[in-house]
Amino acid sequence: MRRVFHEGTTIEDLKAYMGPFAERLGYKFNTETEFVDEVLESELQVLDRDGDVYCPCRVRTGDPKEDLKIVCPCIPFFRDEFAAMRKCWCGLFIRQDVEDGAELIGVIEQPEPGTAVAVPVCLLADLPSGTARHVKVGKNDIAVVRVGDEVYALSNVCRHAFAPLAEGFVDGHIIACPWHGWRYDVRDGTTDHPNADVRTFPATVRDGEVLVTVPLGRAR
Amino acid sequence: MKIHLYALSTCPYCRMTKRYLDEHGITYEITEVDLLDGDEKQAAVDEVKRLSGGTSFPVLVADNEVIVGFNKSKMAAVLGL
Ligand code: SF4
Ligand code: FES
Repeated sequence: MRRVFHEGTTIEDLKAYMGPFAERLGYKFNTETEFVDEVLESELQVLDRDGDVYCPCRVRTGDPKEDLKIVCPCIPFFRDEFAAMRKCWCGLFIRQDVEDGAELIGVIEQPEPGTAVAVPVCLLADLPSGTARHVKVGKNDIAVVRVGDEVYALSNVCRHAFAPLAEGFVDGHIIACPWHGWRYDVRDGTTDHPNADVRTFPATVRDGEVLVTVPLGRAR
Repeated sequence: MKIHLYALSTCPYCRMTKRYLDEHGITYEITEVDLLDGDEKQAAVDEVKRLSGGTSFPVLVADNEVIVGFNKSKMAAVLGL
């Protein structure tokens, strides 16, 4: 994603890099184009004042790490909430399959924490068979794994010494930890080591997107 | 009824909410949180978090009701419009 701002950055510049980025996460610009322009104009105002395209609908805390999470598009940091609402907070982006974005403008209402929500994590095309990738969904660190046309999701954290499993080696339905080789079955998270099975999450493919179902985290 | 709007000067939903309240002749107090500085800003942010559980704007407080976002039907119900 190109994020170099120059004097006179326009909303067309923002659209050019944000659109493709959002698309790979399962989102598109709202179908209400005037509203999109209004939000992006506001972001340019924020860029002017604060030096980056922070979300116009949320406030900077001054903590640089927290503030990074509200640089637009903030979709990766709020995947579960946005999947549940079918849009980002501001409604600038809506889920790929929403036909009319107008009705999603304005209301910010999240389902109860704990509700199961199918969250788009990547495009199937971005996950070749025999590979894994790490995705963060809410507080969950998840390894998504593709075996042929099937996808699986399991905790990304090895129970031996907490290595990131997605960096391991996929061999059929087994993923081997990159650090000391513990082997986990991606279908059910089981391993031969005692009391070391990892959690799995339901994973499916729909319209070329990989979806992982997680319980919605606490409201933010 | 005491009505207080926590808003950001940059936020489209906040502008819509203000327009809506103005059009209906509602009087309200407003805090534009991003225009505050230092301790004042921190206090306002803390208050918004306490009220709404988050930092999304706008947050409209009408007596004991808290409405996050530009939620016309909820505003109409709470404000009796
Ligand atoms: S909520 Fe929407 S507009 Fe705001 S930063 Fe996130 S993606 Fe951008
Ligand atoms: S950390 Fe995974 S096998 Fe050691």
